[in-house]
Amino acid sequence: MVDPRLTPFRGPALAFAAYLAVQAGSAAVLFASKLGTTPGQVAEFYLGSEERFAAPRSLPGLLEVAVPHLLAVPLVLFAAAHVVGYARALGRRGFVALLATSFGSAAAGIAAGFLVRFVAPELAWLKLVAFAGLEASLLAWAGLLFAIFAPFGERSRGSAPQGAGAALR
Amino acid sequence: MRFLVSGGPEAIARARAPVRVLLVFGALALAALAAQRVLQGGLSPAGVEAHYLAVGQPMPAAALWEEVHAGAFLYGFLLFVLASLLVVSPVPARARTALLAVAFVATLADLFAPFAVIAAGGGGGLRVATFVLAAGALAAHVAVAAVAFGRNGGNGGNGRG
Repeated sequence: MVDPRLTPFRGPALAFAAYLAVQAGSAAVLFASKLGTTPGQVAEFYLGSEERFAAPRSLPGLLEVAVPHLLAVPLVLFAAAHVVGYARALGRRGFVALLATSFGSAAAGIAAGFLVRFVAPELAWLKLVAFAGLEASLLAWAGLLFAIFAPFGERSRGSAPQGAGAALR
Repeated sequence: MRFLVSGGPEAIARARAPVRVLLVFGALALAALAAQRVLQGGLSPAGVEAHYLAVGQPMPAAALWEEVHAGAFLYGFLLFVLASLLVVSPVPARARTALLAVAFVATLADLFAPFAVIAAGGGGGLRVATFVLAAGALAAHVAVAAVAFGRNGGNGGNGRG
């Protein structure tokens, strides 16, 4: 662990990392089962298909998915980045690159649904790339949290610092 | 987390008011989740089975994964925030760790229990148990944090080197 003051937060951070992985995993299953894994399938999901009797996605339907994601995804990324940044587990360039990839992928992914439906179906590839980028970012944040907080290979440092834990005593 | 790690007693004292409000909303979120489960029949094994195995037609896997996806955000974030707040509470580290472990295992089990109910074609009691345990453990986190942050003053110094 980079900063011993973080030791008392090991449990919460590892639990959060595990839940990041669950979110990434469940998102991958949902994406593959609902939208598909090729640009053609993604475009069909948004534009509908007469052969499959599938209606095009409506604007209210797209917003129903977009609105909670516009809050939840940045909040999760912010929390993960906040802790990783505090621990200085990455160099500045790497940290900024991961931040840019994470938030950029999230924004592009949310926008891509609207773009495919209402602007250009050819942009279905953007949805796929953005989703892959966000998934990789989520797993990277989870991996970094795990690397920072996991006790494996850490030599005994004696008892945890009392600082944070004693503040309200 | 930053104010908890390096803010010192003064910063934590300043954070009391927003933390108290946050805890009220955390409690409301848990109450709303419990109400939602009750309305879905989630507090009785028969109700759970009726929800997931309605008329011999199990809920589709995509719907189950949507529950996992949304639940992982709620449980994951609540647990992260509440357990981080407990770090600055007077609760001994072992008790804190035990409470977090119970909450983590119970919430994770609660997310995936519907898969087991559908695979077994029954066993709704499992989901009832995981929810009661998960909600109870999270409520305990809220209660302990409320006691710690509800007191005015009383900072014993943070003893940080």
